[in-house]
Amino acid sequence: MSNKKEILVAVAGNPNTGKSTLINTIAGTKLHVGNWPGVTVEKKEAYFEYKGIKIKLIDLPGTYSLSPYTQEELIARNYLIHNKPDVIINVVDATNLERNLYLTIQLLELGIPVVVALNIYDEAMKKGYKIDVKKFEDLANVKVVPTIATKKEGIKELIETVIDISTRKQLLPEGFFYGKDIDEALKELEISIQKNYPQLFQRFPKKWLLLKILENDETLYKELNLKPENICLEKIKNLEKVYSEDIESTIADIRYSIASRISNQVLSKKDISTIDYTEKIDKIILNRFLGIPIFLLMMWFVFKIAFDVSSPFVDWIDSIISGPLKSWTEYFLTIMNTRGWIISLVTDGIIAGTGFVLVFVPVIGMMMLIITFLESSGYMARAAFVMDRLMNTIGLHGKSFIPMLLGFGCNVPAIYATRILETERDKKLTAMLIPFMSCGARLPVYVVFIGTFFENSPGTILWSLYILGIFMAILLGLILKKSFFKGSSPVFIMELPPYRIPTLRDLYIHTWQKLKHFVIKAGTYILTVSIIVWFLLNLPWGTMDKKDSLLGKFGNAISPVFKPLGFGNWEAASSLITGIMAKEVVIGTMSQIYVKQNKDNENNHKKPDFYQDLKDIGNSFVSAGETAIKNVFSGFGVKSLSSEESEEELMERTPLRLALKSVFTPVAAYAFIVFVLLYWPCVVVGIAIKQEFGTWKMYLLAALLQSMIAWLIAFIVYQGGKIFL
Amino acid sequence: MKLSMLKPGERGKIIKIGTLGLSKRRLMDMGVLPGEIITIEKVAPLGDPIEISVKNYFLSIRKKEAMEIDVEVLR
Repeated sequence: MSNKKEILVAVAGNPNTGKSTLINTIAGTKLHVGNWPGVTVEKKEAYFEYKGIKIKLIDLPGTYSLSPYTQEELIARNYLIHNKPDVIINVVDATNLERNLYLTIQLLELGIPVVVALNIYDEAMKKGYKIDVKKFEDLANVKVVPTIATKKEGIKELIETVIDISTRKQLLPEGFFYGKDIDEALKELEISIQKNYPQLFQRFPKKWLLLKILENDETLYKELNLKPENICLEKIKNLEKVYSEDIESTIADIRYSIASRISNQVLSKKDISTIDYTEKIDKIILNRFLGIPIFLLMMWFVFKIAFDVSSPFVDWIDSIISGPLKSWTEYFLTIMNTRGWIISLVTDGIIAGTGFVLVFVPVIGMMMLIITFLESSGYMARAAFVMDRLMNTIGLHGKSFIPMLLGFGCNVPAIYATRILETERDKKLTAMLIPFMSCGARLPVYVVFIGTFFENSPGTILWSLYILGIFMAILLGLILKKSFFKGSSPVFIMELPPYRIPTLRDLYIHTWQKLKHFVIKAGTYILTVSIIVWFLLNLPWGTMDKKDSLLGKFGNAISPVFKPLGFGNWEAASSLITGIMAKEVVIGTMSQIYVKQNKDNENNHKKPDFYQDLKDIGNSFVSAGETAIKNVFSGFGVKSLSSEESEEELMERTPLRLALKSVFTPVAAYAFIVFVLLYWPCVVVGIAIKQEFGTWKMYLLAALLQSMIAWLIAFIVYQGGKIFL
Repeated sequence: MKLSMLKPGERGKIIKIGTLGLSKRRLMDMGVLPGEIITIEKVAPLGDPIEISVKNYFLSIRKKEAMEIDVEVLR
């Protein structure tokens, strides 16, 4: 055996077979996660060496079949046909042999050796299933290795079998018997292709090609630039008459009967009366009356954990960046006699920008942890089952509810969460609507304005904003469903998998992958934007009045646009521009503009106390942990979205409030916060959309569309308000 | 009889799957085939979709699809 050779191994299997657990177990942190070209389906690959042999592992999307009707199926199929892996590992759920074998049979049609990882073997044993592995290997002409991926059992044997198979070329799968009529038709077809299109047999696996041509596979015909009329329309018509079914259904039926024949011969069930937990749990969770309350309770819990646990750590990171890190840097740059503008660029541009990336880490981390938990435990499918009716009215899939809900905390992880949806259409439509979910970053803007102008009815005004956001999402959903996303109505044919306890390794690996991806990829963009904003705010260098800065000039130039909305001044316009970075920045910019800064006077370049700072960082981390725990047990409210301000914040905001009161009328103030709610989703959302969908176009489209909507609604609010109030 | 007309707990044998286009192929890939015996497990709290069991696993489909599946009720 030569050691130089690299073995290409593709891993295929149905969803919910523990395929990704198996991959994580084999490759662990060596996994490289990306997207399949041009689509939002995750692609995982890993290179590793086993006893001196190089192996490249490719995880194909989980599919039930290789027919070209879903994105996942098409990806898996194209990869297998065009990249011709040396071996396929087919992960099969041992508790559901028959349905899993349907895919196995299609994999075998490709003429590539298949090693079946008979996974979840422990559960099958517990259920009293006995699977005759030897018989299985003989009947299906595959290698079978029982595995328990969650316990790392059978993994070594699996890899060794794969290597063994790849070196023995003679074990090539034999075809199955598809019935007299079909087999005869296949034989005739083979002769006619050999005569007319012999080059096709070089390009494609023979058996697969013949079957697909006979199956009337449109995707293949398109790829070959052929029509059934040229090859075998006659045959197809004959067979359809014989079976009185369309040919595709007939062949699907035949494949299933092969699957069930193998399953019947291989599997014997001892009658042990086991308790089926899944059925028991579903009796309660999907109950007609309890289903919705339980779902809402779960969602409240998800939301609370995701945001209340992460928010103290967000504050902690923020305090390190804007505290010690900034003062240390300032100190060192000052003693090195660095110019003022460089110090400002480094501290207010680069360090602040880095902080801006890092504050997302706790939120995205918690969210990924929860999403992974919900998915791999099996609850996600139930949530979709309960919510589908409601979400379907705006043309969405039941699962869309969860990303939308997360949007109220932060739109960024919500965009990432659209990954749980099945079709490109659902993902895109959901991502378009998420920005209308009023996120936590918009809250500080509302709080300042409501506290200034609507002290008498703060609750009503605040709620009206959330409701308006939801209402706009529904409206836009209905419009998009009938326009942009017309025609391709989503199919809802979804397995309700058995409940399973996710492994810590899976939770850790998925969360880590997402975070790494975010910090590296999104981080670069966010940092760039942060530096651009710094230039806008500070150039030309030395301007005392913000009105003379680039930002002020830019704000001044576009301010007439906001005149009909009641806030056509450069201050508001400039704040809205920086608010594109993150909506809470609106308030930050406003305070900088309206409130005269006397920061420079107190800016003393004393040597920071490193020891004290380190101690503080440690202490504040501990207290962040305590706050997180307290938040969770603090009762029903979601702490991180509470609109109450601390005494300190109130004091700090007083000058800004007085300034605002002299500029805005109450109606204009309401129009302004409505505009902030609906306009241009922040840059980080844009970056998330770019990462998920691979294009800036979608973000730009959403941003323009939503800014127009925001303008229109704020216009109605202001002009209507002026008349009625 | 249509699959959508069955109540939870009732069983039916699939006779024919009507014109469903894409969904039909997907259903067949999931093992919902003529001759197969299906049990209605649950109806979602809001009345749609429904949960069925087929080939020893649970599947949820919308009523729209269930209306196109002809079954023979088994008692």
